Amino acid sequence: MTSALSNPLRLGLRQERVIPPQCLIIFGASGDLTHRKLIPALFELYLQRRIPSEFAIVGCARRPWTDKEFKEKMKAKLVDQISGNEKEWENFANYLFYESVDLQQNEHVVRLAKRLNEIDKLQATHGNKTFYLSVSPNFYGSGCKALKDAGLIDDPKKSRVVIEKPFGRDYSSAKKLNRIVQSCADESQIYRIDHYLGKETVQNILVMRFANTIFEPIWNRNYISNVQITSSETVGVEDRAGYYESSGALRDMLQNHLTQMLAVTAMEPPGKFEPEAIRNEKAKVLQASKLADEIEPWNCCIRGQYTEGGNSLKRLKGYRDEDGVNLNSTTETYIATKVFIDNWRWQGVPFYLRTGKRLPKRLGEIVLTFKDVPVHLFESTIINPSPNQLILRIQPNEGATFKFEVKSPGSGMKARPVEMEFSYDESFGEPSDEGYVRLLADAMLSDPTLFTRSDEVEAAWKLYTPLIELMENSPWKLPIHKYESMTWGPPESDQLLSQDNIFWRRP
Amino acid sequence: MKPQLTLQSPLELPHQEISNYLNQLWISEDEDNSGANTFTLMIWQPAWLEQYLVQLGLIDGPIIGTLSPEIIKVAKNLILEKGISRTTSINSQELLTFLKGGIKNKDYEDFRGQFFESSISTLNPRRLITLAPTLNKESEIKTFVSAYCPLSDNNMSQPICGDLVVIRGDSNSINEKGLKIINELSIKDLPSWLWWNGSLDESPEIFDFFTKHGTRLIIDTANGSPKRCLEILNQSINLNKDINDLNWVRLKSWRESLAMIFDPPSRRAVLDHITEIDIDISGSNPLQALFLISWISDKLDWGFAKIDKDEEFIKIEFKRNNGEKIVTSINSLPLGNPSIHSGQVIGLRLISKISEVQKNNTCVILGCESVECMRLEAGGMADMQLIEQVVPNTFSSSESDVSKLLGSSRGNTSPLFENAIKIAVQIFNSLDKYL
Repeated sequence: MTSALSNPLRLGLRQERVIPPQCLIIFGASGDLTHRKLIPALFELYLQRRIPSEFAIVGCARRPWTDKEFKEKMKAKLVDQISGNEKEWENFANYLFYESVDLQQNEHVVRLAKRLNEIDKLQATHGNKTFYLSVSPNFYGSGCKALKDAGLIDDPKKSRVVIEKPFGRDYSSAKKLNRIVQSCADESQIYRIDHYLGKETVQNILVMRFANTIFEPIWNRNYISNVQITSSETVGVEDRAGYYESSGALRDMLQNHLTQMLAVTAMEPPGKFEPEAIRNEKAKVLQASKLADEIEPWNCCIRGQYTEGGNSLKRLKGYRDEDGVNLNSTTETYIATKVFIDNWRWQGVPFYLRTGKRLPKRLGEIVLTFKDVPVHLFESTIINPSPNQLILRIQPNEGATFKFEVKSPGSGMKARPVEMEFSYDESFGEPSDEGYVRLLADAMLSDPTLFTRSDEVEAAWKLYTPLIELMENSPWKLPIHKYESMTWGPPESDQLLSQDNIFWRRP
Repeated sequence: MKPQLTLQSPLELPHQEISNYLNQLWISEDEDNSGANTFTLMIWQPAWLEQYLVQLGLIDGPIIGTLSPEIIKVAKNLILEKGISRTTSINSQELLTFLKGGIKNKDYEDFRGQFFESSISTLNPRRLITLAPTLNKESEIKTFVSAYCPLSDNNMSQPICGDLVVIRGDSNSINEKGLKIINELSIKDLPSWLWWNGSLDESPEIFDFFTKHGTRLIIDTANGSPKRCLEILNQSINLNKDINDLNWVRLKSWRESLAMIFDPPSRRAVLDHITEIDIDISGSNPLQALFLISWISDKLDWGFAKIDKDEEFIKIEFKRNNGEKIVTSINSLPLGNPSIHSGQVIGLRLISKISEVQKNNTCVILGCESVECMRLEAGGMADMQLIEQVVPNTFSSSESDVSKLLGSSRGNTSPLFENAIKIAVQIFNSLDKYL
């Protein structure tokens, strides 16, 4: 009988691009990201038969592991994914190698280069190399230099460097890091990863906008009154206090993930669906973006920090009580800000961006609220007719909803809102790949479309520079507002919108 | 896509000198410019229809080798005006036989192999070898050679160049003399493809030469007798040789549209209760429809049971694992408009019965145009839950289909196609007794 889970007619129809022979070198292989995201993504690619037989994954970290130990550790971490695919894992594990490397030590990198040569011959990877820097951001620059000095990234056609976020701490450090990285490799070799861009639903924004006739004519200041971009997490800081204390919500989420969603939502149509054409448009829109009040930025930004909360069954700690967090920490776990885009399309349309930890729901969404109708001809079943809204759900329950008014049944002529739904689950019935699956494959295929270019990263930092300066030089002007865990952030963030007579959508 | 031209006029050289000349061509002071590191594409390019039309003065020369809109228009008009069956495809033997009558051994300019679509040239084939058989009897072959550097929109520091070779003569001379230089022209370490851009019934000895040399094949089973085409396909998969069929490639929008209908999980149950499938084709070549039905039966795990043939239809019966019967039929429809490829699918109707109550059953209709959908709706289909979709049969040139194959695959036979071939062969062998 046909499984309700898969469409038998769909099997094998999708023609995915096959990754060319390749050696993927992961620096920071003993870290969290490697076993949580990277190796699972690579194994998924293997299960999808997109990994060529001429392939190798070389884990690199300071720990003195052997190839065998690396394989065993990865296997232990991927138990759930391997379950039912044991034979496939055994074959996949043949691609795994390990080399103990400290990127700061020249002799280590020289030894690595020699090992990579041996692996290249053994696995016939044709000298193609992708280096993945999953290390502390402090080592991005020196890591690239070390690779350059060892001659490992000399050939721009055969080598690439993938760099994790955060790329810099502010505009000037990002600029400096770009200079260092670009002195080691050509920009075409550098893949700055933002896994939000790997999400099917974020890419779908481009398709929805540019493959349909109906959206683009109304996707502008004439029809849209405001845009809200939300990314909320239910989890707290967990075991990442060390990193989070020095970053906070602005650097961890706002500057990259939310700003990339803003760029994709607001960019102009590219002339062609080609990497540089798309990245040009994204960079342009980010360069045209500015805080709603650059002179007094505290008027357009609210910072918050979660406090104790939850319910009687499960009490949740406040941020300052979390392990590894300073008792007097002023790191924001919530940030909301208002941005304008100075161009013909968006002049005067506020974009509200918010992100936070320990909010009631885990979700990502973009809400475009349309302008009110010029005349209200009909009474509404509620107080006022609701404006039309297009809600693009990034996660979970991926899809889109369009809210519009219809006649409420009955003898009168009252209007009421209804929703038109598109759900990935209901339409396709198959889970979409994790962002890392798509992005790792793209990097190895030398396709930079979904990676951020240097000017995009710099523009994104520049946008928030007034806030960062304020946070560092006069933090009292941008105070931390407390909010109870599992609530939608501090009440002050509601005021950010209510002064414009707008309200956050309650998802 | 417009045809690309070579930068220099092809040089005519004795065939004995070609290989040496090409070797010299790539010895350059600039070490980086030793030609594209891609693949060799060999094309059997008879362009018989074009040759006949030029010979008869029905179109202007020179012969280029691509199926231009002008050729299509003139050929369709000929079929309509000269009383040939209207369903005849412009690539059919019937039309060529008709044209053969008025032919004279006239000379004409022949630029085959010197013009090729930019969709192919932008893939930077390292070497393009065109086998250009002539209508005129020419006991000697003529060989031409040229370098080419396609210009691209990308800002490449240096163009990636290749070379092209044209081997021209009649089929016999190509077979006897032309093939001898093919081996010398092969480039070690680069994959080579043969695109057989003609009927699979012609020049079997030349075709066999390539199959024996491990070349990746691109054929078009709409062009040739179904028996010969299936033999070639079957042989290739039995010998583990890579083969791609443009007739299967053209089915893509039908396969995708049908799969799309069943993407929503709420519709999956329909697949378990299919009782009938009707496939309408234009013309008489049943292969494309056979591939479609074979693909469906493979994916839904049906076993072939029996076959029956009438003048206008072929009925194929399958059985599900639980013994339930599925009756499928391939119907050849007489159309008022000559087709380009013979036997293209123009409609599909799938009926799934879960109940005796008609309105609880489902009917899926895919048609290449609304009229076809309406035709398939007849017979009370609208009483069921009807899912309809138009699948436009837009004409894409063979060059563009070939470039998609070259650009997206490593040449391996698609596993979906391989499975469909196995079932199609099984069905056809049973059908053979009717032919």
